[in-house]
Order: sequence, then structure tokens, then C-alpha cells
Amino acid sequence: MKTIQFFLKKLTGAFITIFAIIVANFVIFRIAPGDPIRMMFHDPRVSAEQIKAMQIKFGLDKSLWGQFIDYFKQLMKGDMGFSFWQKRPVIEVIGDRIGHTLILVVTALIIATIIGILLGAIAGWKNGSKTDRSILSVSLVLYSIPTFAMGILLLLIFAYVLSIFPLGGISTPASGFTGFMYIKDVIWHLILPAFSIILWYIGEYILMTRSSMVEVLDQDYIVTARTKGLRESTILRKHALRNALLPVVTLSGVNFAFAIAGVIEAETVFSWPGIGRLTYDAVMKRDYPLLQGIFLLFAVSVVLANFLVDLIYSRIDPRIKTGDVNV
Amino acid sequence: MSDISLNNKQKKTKIRRQKIKDFISLLINHRMGKVGVGVIIFFLFIAFAAPLLRTVNPHQSGNAVEILIPPDGQFWFGTDDLGRDVWSQVIYGSRISLLIGFISALATILTGTLVGIIAGFYGGIIEEILMRIVDFFMMLPALPLMIVLAAVLGPSIWNIIFVVSLISWPTTARVVRSQILSLKERPFIEASRCIGASNSLLMFGEIFPNVVPILFAEAVIMITEAIYAEAVLSFLGLGDPVRMSWGSMLHFAFDSGVMARAPWWVLPPILSIILLIVGFSFLGTAVSDVLKPGYKETKGL
Amino acid sequence: MRKNSLSKMFIVMIILIFAGSALFAGGQKDGKSAKANDARFNVGFTTEEAISTLIPDESWQYVEMGCIFWPLVYDQLWVMGPAPDYKPVPMLATSWETEDNQTWIFHLRKDAKFHDGVAVTAEDVAFTLEYFPASDPAWEYEDTDCEDIQVIDDYTIQFTLSAKHGGDYPPVYWTPILPKHIWEDYKDDMHSFNNDDAIGSGPFHLKEFQSEQYIWLESNEDYWGNVPEAKTVVLKTYGSSEAEYMALKKGEIDMIGYNSIDPLALDGFKGVDGVEVKIDPGITIDWLSFNLHKENAISDLNVRKAIMYGIDTERLISLAFLGYADPADSFMYTELPDHNPNLPQFDYNVSKAKSILAGAGYKDTDGDGIVNDPKSGDNLVFELLGPSDWTMEVKMITLIKEQMKDIGIEISPKIVDLDTYYEFWYAPEEDSFDISIGNEEPGPHADWIWEFARSWDNGGEGWNCAYYNNAEFDEYLDDMAEQSDIDARRADLYKMQEILANDLPYGFLLRYKSINPVRSDKFTGYTSTMGGVSTWINPWSYYNVKPVK
Repeated sequence: MKTIQFFLKKLTGAFITIFAIIVANFVIFRIAPGDPIRMMFHDPRVSAEQIKAMQIKFGLDKSLWGQFIDYFKQLMKGDMGFSFWQKRPVIEVIGDRIGHTLILVVTALIIATIIGILLGAIAGWKNGSKTDRSILSVSLVLYSIPTFAMGILLLLIFAYVLSIFPLGGISTPASGFTGFMYIKDVIWHLILPAFSIILWYIGEYILMTRSSMVEVLDQDYIVTARTKGLRESTILRKHALRNALLPVVTLSGVNFAFAIAGVIEAETVFSWPGIGRLTYDAVMKRDYPLLQGIFLLFAVSVVLANFLVDLIYSRIDPRIKTGDVNV
Repeated sequence: MSDISLNNKQKKTKIRRQKIKDFISLLINHRMGKVGVGVIIFFLFIAFAAPLLRTVNPHQSGNAVEILIPPDGQFWFGTDDLGRDVWSQVIYGSRISLLIGFISALATILTGTLVGIIAGFYGGIIEEILMRIVDFFMMLPALPLMIVLAAVLGPSIWNIIFVVSLISWPTTARVVRSQILSLKERPFIEASRCIGASNSLLMFGEIFPNVVPILFAEAVIMITEAIYAEAVLSFLGLGDPVRMSWGSMLHFAFDSGVMARAPWWVLPPILSIILLIVGFSFLGTAVSDVLKPGYKETKGL
Repeated sequence: MRKNSLSKMFIVMIILIFAGSALFAGGQKDGKSAKANDARFNVGFTTEEAISTLIPDESWQYVEMGCIFWPLVYDQLWVMGPAPDYKPVPMLATSWETEDNQTWIFHLRKDAKFHDGVAVTAEDVAFTLEYFPASDPAWEYEDTDCEDIQVIDDYTIQFTLSAKHGGDYPPVYWTPILPKHIWEDYKDDMHSFNNDDAIGSGPFHLKEFQSEQYIWLESNEDYWGNVPEAKTVVLKTYGSSEAEYMALKKGEIDMIGYNSIDPLALDGFKGVDGVEVKIDPGITIDWLSFNLHKENAISDLNVRKAIMYGIDTERLISLAFLGYADPADSFMYTELPDHNPNLPQFDYNVSKAKSILAGAGYKDTDGDGIVNDPKSGDNLVFELLGPSDWTMEVKMITLIKEQMKDIGIEISPKIVDLDTYYEFWYAPEEDSFDISIGNEEPGPHADWIWEFARSWDNGGEGWNCAYYNNAEFDEYLDDMAEQSDIDARRADLYKMQEILANDLPYGFLLRYKSINPVRSDKFTGYTSTMGGVSTWINPWSYYNVKPVK
């Protein structure tokens, strides 16, 4: 019973948040200065009639409230609207780009998670030792370097000066590569942008795993295991690691949702044609429908990830259901 | 009655002072804390002493022959594409980063604490609503939202501070609230309530002082994030056009088309950003270490 | 000790990167050998210059890659010839005639085919002329504004313009002819058709289009004219101009796609093997627009004059352009015969600027170095608007701010993104700027540029970003547009330039040169016009380049 109640509460929460986001992102873009219709024509000579015609076409002649109702109805039908800038359905524009971002983020996160968890676990295990201190300092430094700054450094050194890697983009233009050659080409383009993201996330994962590990090692069952005289490696494998990694792995789900929104820096530096760069362009072109679409996508994925995390946590730690502990 | 309370107050202040002293000495003895504090003091010194450090007006253009010249005796860090002194830009840039860092952190902490205390103290429907708002803000993708707001509000240093604060306060609110929830149950609060202390006195007189250490840790994190955010926004070209910050130096260098030829224009701002953020991160780690229960004892051994 | 571990970590990382690069160095080599096989002409653009769709709206004339793509894939009735004469060159039309400058007959060539094999006929031309102005305001020009269109036979079309069209050039300039059989179904809504195949009748046909990444073209072997020797043309996108320059040095591209490189980058191309640098007269004219709609000191002619005397154009040229620019005093290029040589000049003169201000009552009454407006007593502070995307103009704003300080005027730069900038330009109600920096690429056939000064309330709306009103100017402008007599036209143009120079709605600054490094080791036959080897008026390099054997 409690489980269902908890589930329903979280679900309503998620829906309310998504609705609030829909409202907020509708409002934010409409209080922005700049008339989207004029920007759409990009031509100063538009007549009042033409502006009127376009306003009617896009429903911008209606009151804000009317526009919102229209927008909401559209959304319910699964229609995200029509991009002012690219003049095609928003879903198509996003669809063209999202795959590129996923390649970048998934690759980077997988590598960063593996390395980060490994180093973080070592640091946590050897808490207070010299190894711990050096891993901690390195991770703090990596975590402090803005992705764009790292990107510029990598681009400058490995593409501009040493000419080992391409100057940007996702593949060699008009190469005609197919199959394995194409994959190889994409990977070759992927390395630098992925690296600029990986380094930052390694830092984050080390910090996360380390603190989780330290916490677990303080728990009673570890102390008990030690007093029982179990071998250290057994304690590490059977008790500490498993329990320490659980929250880290779960959190990486949420992290993933945020990472998609956070690749703007790497995509800008390496001209990676993904969703991050698209967001930036859409802001600059005042393309409300596109921005609304992108934000909805970001928000829904974050809300969804959080929702899942809540559910998983509630299974791990029953106290959460009763509201004693806040995740 | 009044005599006793005065005495109590004096005692409390004394204890508090002693605590702060302890805290600082622990912090400075912490390896990372030492480095962090050192770096921050270094940058604070640079920011305050900027005019004395052989700087010129960082926005003053030079002559045609002074464009993009490498570091030499006159221009320690070389010049940029309008013959402006990179050294002066880096030095004065520290002012912008620190200013944005401190003010944003202050605004964030104030808002976050207020919301957190009110939510935690009153509970019920007020808490529900406030925490719903906090949740909502935490769901938003920070960087894209900052870009939208910065573009919408126009480029200026104050808008960046506003945007950064708007995005970051919910974390503080959450932390403060959970702290309050546990404090509320402590006996001393119950006791004060019994002797008839008003709500505001309880909130700000009794509870607030106990949250201060956590706030300090939060503030350090917020400063890091604000400095980071300013650098990213300025790099994307959304910075204040009238004030040259480290981020906007990188923006201009990246746009100039000759970045590879002029590393002296790129490396100083990048390294400054990294160093300053690392400084605050180290301090943050040290603070959270020191605040851990039992830290003093283990160090004492 | 900690240092040791730190450096170890970084060494490991660097080794990882190198290991990765060794693995994939193979991919790079394969890419290169594929390129060497054919006569592939690679041209670079930046992401900002790339087009996202092939819909013929603004991308045709506002986005750089569009300005190159459309003339290569779509034929026009006629195009402007190369330098130095810039004569009209027949393309789909073989000849044209008119008696009254209003009703025109165009005779079409009979051997032109679209890329899908269908013949180009007068029906297609008629369709295009009806379709464009109705679909997008970007296509409303006086020389395509028809009252009546008649298809006389398959290869003859007659149309009547709503106003007379004079001058050296026939009407219907810069208009791609669309295949009616493909577009007819979508004629009510330009944006309902993505034009993914881009069927035109031009010397190149589309092989592949990747939005904002690249356009891959191949020469049209069935073209009615000379088939280009560059069998493949790839318009590529790079994330920054620096990456684009690097690509040219490495040989990834053979030419810069639009207008000019930044003069700062010129040094980097000197002495690069296989690269030749071409320097041509510029096509872009930069100016200041004064917001005359705003009722403050900027509407005082004396203030505008003082500003113009206070600007050290030579310094702008030497610092922002490293000398690669010339002063400008009109929308008309100085070397063209229609340029009025007797325009008043505003040579840099601080004391003159100051005395003009003082004479008009602007004096520094509060001793802060900035003069005060005698009406309000406030400091003379002007907002100077510019787009962040225009690197050069941002530099100019920085310098102008410094120079204005010397004559006691404070400039507050207002740097916004390009779209907001245009939005501010044409929003008189909001008065979002006092002064703005502007530029255009008029080209040799530029009757349209004068619309920038047509009275705001007499049809100039949406052009005129100074909100200038002058009925006398409008009369000369209307007469000029209709005149075929060269001398009478010139007299009108002289007068128009003089009026603008005296009233100063616009303060002309400079015209920067086009600097273009090209790969001479791979191709020859790069063709220069004003604006360089590749601009909206110059598709000739693409037609003319030949691979070096």
C-alpha cells in the first residue's frame, strides 16, 4: 500500500514539474525582446500584411493565453510545433541532432564512469593515504577545469599544432565512406570532444565514488566483518564495493540526463553538430518552438531519471517511502 | 533575569569565537585547505592591488605595431588583436571573477537560507510548496537556461550574477532545510520554545547560528560554480562587452582566427580560471572535511 | 610525492591520446587518398555561414553558403559578368528587349534542361516570377514586381513591371529559375517543401546535403554551357574561422567560401607551400547609422558632424584591418563612374569636432570630461549598437568609443547577437539605439542600396535604419530607378550622394579589402571580382577553376 502511495506521489510530482516546465519555458521565451516573425524573415522589408499573415500561420496573433492553449493542445497530440528558424517540424530538427549528441555523451560517460569509479574506489578504500590524497587532488583539479577550456587546450595542441586529430565536426565531409570506414572516421572525430568531457566527469565520478566508499567503510557491517577477521580483499569485493557503487551507478542515470544538456561547451569548441550547439543557435535565432522542444526534452529526461532513481532508492532504503529521508 | 541572560550571551559569544578560531586553525592545517586559502589570498591580492602591478588600462588599444606581440619586457604577457596588454587584462579579470563569485554566492546563500529555514521550520503546506519550487528549479538544465536568460536579459555583469544566483539557490535551500529538520528536534530548541521564544527569534537566534558552518561550505561551492558559469557564458559571447573578463578574453581569442599563433593570449586566462576554481575547490573539500564530526579528534591524535 | 602521482596521471592520459591517434591515423590517410582521385574542389565556410535547409528563403541572400549554393545549382535568366566590366551575361535568356522600360520580353535558350531531364521553358520562368514575391518578402524587389506575366511561346516570356526599370541592367536580377513541375504542388507554402533534391538547371547538381555540415555538388555533364572542370565541389563547414584557415594550410580546402579572411591571419599564410594570397578591392561598406527618430542630441546635425570629424578612420583601418581597407564616403564605390567625387570629406580633426560641439552649445559644464546637452544638462552619452558576430565591427566600436572620449562624447557599446541587432535596427518605436554600426555588400549593380535612405514614411520602412525623411531625396531616387539615360541617372546619383553627405543620416566609414589565400598547387583559374574570389556576385571561380595536372 505504502509503495503504491509513494509511487503515486512521486508520479504526480513528476507531472506537476513537467507541467511547470512547459509553462515556464512558454513564458520565458515570450518575454524575451525581439520579434520572432521579423527574425524569421530576416528581411527588413516585410510589410505589415506579411507579418500579419505569418502571425496567423503560427498562431502568434492570439493572446498569450490562446497561444498557450494551442501549444498545450499540440503537445498533447505529440506535435512539438514548427521551427521558426529551420522552417520544419521541431521534432525533425531535434531528431537530426540528438543522435550525434548521444554518441558523444554515451561514449564519454561510459569511459568516465569506469575510470572514475575505479580510481574513486581505490581512493576511498585507502582513505587518508598518500594514494588517496593524490587521486583526490587530481580529481579536484580535473573537476575544476571548465570543459570549454579543456576543449580549447586539446584542440590547440592536438589539432592545430600537432595535426593529429581533425579540426572539428563529426565526420570527414563528403567522404563517401560507408560501413566500417565511416565508423572509424566518426571515432577519429570523436576522440578530442569526448576527451574534453571525459576528463571532467572522471573528476566527478572519483569524488562521488570516494565519498560513497568512505561512508560505507564506516558502516557497522564492515566493522563487524573486520572484527570477524575476514580478508581485506573479501571485504572490499563482497561488502564495500557493492554497497558503495549502488548510489554511484544510480546517480549516473541522472547525470546522463544532465550531461545531454551540458555538452554545449564541447560541441561549440569542436563544432559537433549536436543538440547543445542547436540550443545555442536556437537561443540566438529566438526560435521559440525549437527552444521549447529542446527544453521539454531536457526536462522530461531529467524528471524521468529522477523518478526512476527515487523508485530504485525506495527499494534500497525503505525509510525513504515514509519520508524520513530525503534523497 | 536580564543579568543572567547577558552573562549567557557573553559566554555564547566567547564559545563561538573560540569555535571559529578552532575552525580556522583546522582549516589552515588541512593540506588542501592550506593550498586553497593560499591561492584565494593570491588572487584577492592581485584583484585589490591591480593598479599597482604595473598594469595599464586593459581596454586601451595600442598602435598598429603593437598588435599580437609576444611577451617581452614591456608587455609581460604580450598583446591581443588590438594591441591591448594581456597582463593587465588578466589582472583586472580577476576582479570580475571574484566579484561575480562572491556576490552570486552571497545572493544564493541568502535566498537559499531564507527559503530553507522557512520551509524547514514551518513545515506543512508552506514546506510542500517551497520544496516543490526548489525541485522544479533543480530539474532545469542549468547551462541552457543560463544561456537563454543571459541572451534574453542582455549582456552585463549584473545580469550574469542574477542568472547564476537564480539557478543555484535551490541546492542551498535543500541543504539548509534538511539541516533544520534535524535541529528542530534537538532539546535546546524545545527548551527555548517552552520559555516562549518567538518564531523569528527561534529561527534566526537559535537555529540560524547552527547552520552557519554548513552555509560556509555551501558558499565556497557556490563561488566555484559562479566563477565557472561566468567563464562559460562569456566564452559563448554572452559576457559584459565593456568589461574584459577571462571568459571574454577566451571568446575573443577563439573568434580571432589566430589563437594558435598567440598562445600568450589564451593560456593566461585559461590557467587563471583553472587555478582560481581549483583554489576554491580545495578550500571546499577542506571545509567539508573539517566540518565532519570527529575530524578534530582524529587530527588531535 | 603528490606532484609525482599528478604528473604520472597526466602522462598516462597523454599516452592514451597518442594510442588513440595511432589507431586512427589510418582513417586520416584513407580520407586523403580518396580525395586525390578526383578533381575535387573543396571550399570552407564557418558554422555561422552554413545553411540549415535548401528552402529558398533568406538563405538565398543572407546566409553566405546559400549565396554560393544557389547560383551553382540554379540557372538565372542573366548574371552579372566578372570584373572589370560587370556586364550582364545571358544565361537562360539569350536576349531581352523593351520599348518603355516597363514591358519586357525575354527570349530563352532552347537547350537548357533541369537535372531531372525536363526542359526549361517560359512556363518555369513565369512560375518563378509569380511564386517568389508571393512566398517571401525577401523576394520583393522592384525588378521582379510584375503586374502582368504572359507566356508567348515555350521560349518567350513577356512581363510588365509595376514601375519602370532603367539603368544598365535588365530586370529579374539574382533570381534562380525553379522547375514548375516540381514546385507547383507546394506553391501556396514555400515551407511545406524541403527541396531536398534541389533540382535546378545550373552547372552543378546536388549529390548530398547535410544540414549545417556540408554540401556535396557534382558537375552537370548535360549542362547547356561549358561543363565545369571541377567535377566535384564540396562546401564544408568549420566550427571557427581558425579551423577553416588551418584546413586551408593543410590542404583540406582550396578556397575560403566567402569574401575575405581576417587580416590578422594573413601572416600565417605567407610562405605556406602551394598557397597564393589574392588581395582584391572590397565589396563591403561599413557605416554608422544615426537614429534620427530618437529625439535627442543625435538628431542635431552638428553632433553628427562632430562625431564624423572625431572618428580617426585611418586608425580604424590600421588597427582593425592592419591597413587592408580604404575610407568610404558613400554607398557607391569610389572607382565606379557614378561615384560623386566632390562629396564633403570629414577628415579626422579633434579640434574641429570640439569647436562644432562647442558652437552648438555642447559644453562640459560639470568638468567630467564629457560635454553636456544644453537642453537637458545631461552628459552626451550615446548607445552604439553592434552585433557580436561581426568581429571587425566590434573592434571598430571599441576604437570609436576611445576616439569619441577625446571629443567629449561618451559611447556605451551595445553588443547583441546578430538577430537581435537586426530586430533593433528596424524598431523605431522602441528606439533601441542611438548610433549603430552597419554594413552591406552593394556590388556594382546596386540600385537597391539607396532604399536605405528612402523616406521612412514613403516606402523606406524596413530599409531605412536611420529613419531619415527627405522628400527631395525620394524624387531623385525614383527618377534614377526609371532612367535609362546614363547621364541623367548619373546626375541623380550625384545629387543623392551629396544630399546624404550633407544631411548625415549615415556616416560612411570604410570598405575593407578582400584577402583570399587559395591553393594554387591544386587548382588554377581563380577569378577575382570586388569582394574576392567567392561572393554573392562571383560564382565565376567555381565555373573556371581547373585542376593542376
